[in-house]
Amino acid sequence: MFLTRSEYDRGVNTFSPEGRLFQVEYAIEAIKLGWTAIGICTSEGVILAVEKRTTSLLMEPTMVEKIVEIDKHIGCVSSGLMADSRTLIDRARIECQNHWFTYDEKMSVESVAQAVSNLAIQFGDSDDDGSAMSRPFGVALLFAGIDEKGPQLFHLDPSGTFVQYDAKAIGSGSEGAQQSLQEVYHKSMTLKEATKAALKILKQVMEEKLNDTNIEVMSMTPEAKFHMFTKEELQEVLASLPETREDSLRSTSNMTPSIRTSLSMQSQ
Amino acid sequence: MSSILVPDIPAPGFSFDLCQRNSLLEKKGYPAPKAQKTGTTIVAIVYKDGVILGADTRATEGNIVADKLCSKIHYLADNMYCCGAGTAADTEATTNMISSQLELHRLNTNRVVPVVTAAKMLSQMLFRYQGHIGAALIVGGVDNAGPHVYCIYPHGSCDSLQYTTMGSGSLAAMSVFESQWRPNMSEEEGKELVADAIRAGVFNDLGSGSSVDLCVIRKGSVDYLRPYEMSCKKGEKQGTYRYKRGTTAVLQKSVRPIIIEDEMIQRVDHESMDTSS
Amino acid sequence: MALVDREPSRYLPDYDVQAPKQLHFSPYADNGGSVVAIAGDDFSIIAADTRLSAGFSIYTRKQEKLFTLSSNTVLGCSGCWCDTLTLTRVMAARMQMYEHEHHKTMATPAAAQMLSTMLYYKRFFPYYVSNILAGLDSEGKGVIYRYDPVGHCEKNYYVAGGSSGALLQPLLDNQVGYLNQENVEKVPITKEKALAIIKDVFTSAAERDIYTGDGIFIKIITKDGIATDFFELRRD
Repeated sequence: MFLTRSEYDRGVNTFSPEGRLFQVEYAIEAIKLGWTAIGICTSEGVILAVEKRTTSLLMEPTMVEKIVEIDKHIGCVSSGLMADSRTLIDRARIECQNHWFTYDEKMSVESVAQAVSNLAIQFGDSDDDGSAMSRPFGVALLFAGIDEKGPQLFHLDPSGTFVQYDAKAIGSGSEGAQQSLQEVYHKSMTLKEATKAALKILKQVMEEKLNDTNIEVMSMTPEAKFHMFTKEELQEVLASLPETREDSLRSTSNMTPSIRTSLSMQSQ
Repeated sequence: MSSILVPDIPAPGFSFDLCQRNSLLEKKGYPAPKAQKTGTTIVAIVYKDGVILGADTRATEGNIVADKLCSKIHYLADNMYCCGAGTAADTEATTNMISSQLELHRLNTNRVVPVVTAAKMLSQMLFRYQGHIGAALIVGGVDNAGPHVYCIYPHGSCDSLQYTTMGSGSLAAMSVFESQWRPNMSEEEGKELVADAIRAGVFNDLGSGSSVDLCVIRKGSVDYLRPYEMSCKKGEKQGTYRYKRGTTAVLQKSVRPIIIEDEMIQRVDHESMDTSS
Repeated sequence: MALVDREPSRYLPDYDVQAPKQLHFSPYADNGGSVVAIAGDDFSIIAADTRLSAGFSIYTRKQEKLFTLSSNTVLGCSGCWCDTLTLTRVMAARMQMYEHEHHKTMATPAAAQMLSTMLYYKRFFPYYVSNILAGLDSEGKGVIYRYDPVGHCEKNYYVAGGSSGALLQPLLDNQVGYLNQENVEKVPITKEKALAIIKDVFTSAAERDIYTGDGIFIKIITKDGIATDFFELRRD
């Protein structure tokens, strides 16, 4: 992919002769260093699940907040550079509040994705106020929400492209996970099935053994709206997962700092 | 030495006793209520045998119609009438005062009072009050010298004219006169022209409305036509708005019988006048 | 002045200009007009008179003051006509932008909220307009919103605004809201009755308010769309 590496990969304002923006492509690559996150949209609601690696035994695991609330009816998970995701999430939250303030109604999931996308592609804008980013955001987002069209899942990548999905995986294990999602997903899936499927796939792509501290799960349903799974709820789902061979193979030491943590900017 | 039978004659002119108090109140934020102004169309023309006065009948208080059928053609004397525009109280009082003076003048001189006399008295009075009396008047009448129309402004200026208009609808009405008035018009033509002028005011000036009053003054006779025409029909109601008995809440009820304590019949006999002295 | 000073008993008022006088430019005009709206279970009717005036003169006798914002939202404006023109144009533009951004027509409650924020945005140089917004809510029920010039918004089901608002509101309170009526069955208003009441209150307003008259445009909003009606008033 990067065989034609040249001076064109320096600036975000210059296309390569083949018509590519290398910085954007590199940014998409940065996500592949991030932790795996999965979203599945069913008719009953949307489920988001994400792995949460603890890079040090001394780190407080509750500080890592991967799934966040954008508004009561929209949740979001990110993969890639967490610092960048904060900026995008802040924008999403502001847009939602602004929409509510101006129109006294909930913002639709698509409109949120659109609004954040507008910020994501502002890189390289030579604004006089200097507010624009000088590089693409190194983060991908999954928006899970419910609006008048029902439960919806949107994916947004660093190029600002946003696409609606039935099921989508992002992060380091995304390729394998997406493959598995394709096999497992069907339109009449219940939310419970989706939750189990998400965790099962997460389990396949994660290096560590699944437990109630190294994953986060959120459900978005018409009744409860944004709901983060509690430890008890997580344990309940985990207990229902079938034991696989790999589980026993995996070492009991579930703290394996990966080489990725040595990156200057920590990817999550 | 005043009693109920012989009251003190009030001092002539206006009393300014309360001016100081009112200005004090105004400074404290209690402005005096506004006087009723008759945003008005009044007109008059001279025709072959006399004069025709015309007026609309709307009185306004700000943007509210205070009176839908008020009378703006005031009596001055048997041979002259006066249309008034401006502050309703001022036109009313001014014409009444001058009317009484004209009657005294007629008794003193035993002649038909000339119209110019009335016009002069009005303009002198208005000038004396420097425009504070908000009366814009049109005096019309017939005397021994013939028909006359005078137009008097609140500050006291006075014009003798063949046709004139006043009030907020004066421009609308004048446009009719300027295009259609001719000397020596017949009475029917004149009445229709005056009515047309008032109609122009009624429909195009928001301060004027409702209907047309006319007053035709000839030598020795007057036709006071009120209303000459209802220019605008009141809209017809779509629904009925009658209330059933018992709709209005009764808050309190107490019955008090009238107690008759005493009965007395008093006969009043005719008293003859005392002519002894 | 010197002469007066020497002889204080013969005081003459001083007619000199004692201080510089500042003349203010007034950016607003009052062009009059009244708007009345009544909402029922499955409809909402809004009507506005067609007289546009200034001071004692009439600009036109046939000015529509109702602005159709969508297939189920109508805005009625009275007050400063130039502000009305600007406000409704901005409003229409915002409706269009919303449609492009969110791929749907703005609902009446959303338009109501947006109007409120648009008005408050100009808190210190307000649009001098009395607004009444009529439409259907998400369940298809009739709704009316009334505003003050700086964005206060109140939901209601019968409202009178504009130059004869103060004249007509008590009448609607009594006839539509059944206020101050004892032993009366409070039946929900029908479309036919609402229409008759609207025509009658305007007939009454034209009798006493000089800025209301000539005629009224009526918009009847139902789930099937917006029907238009016209009714004559006195022209004096």
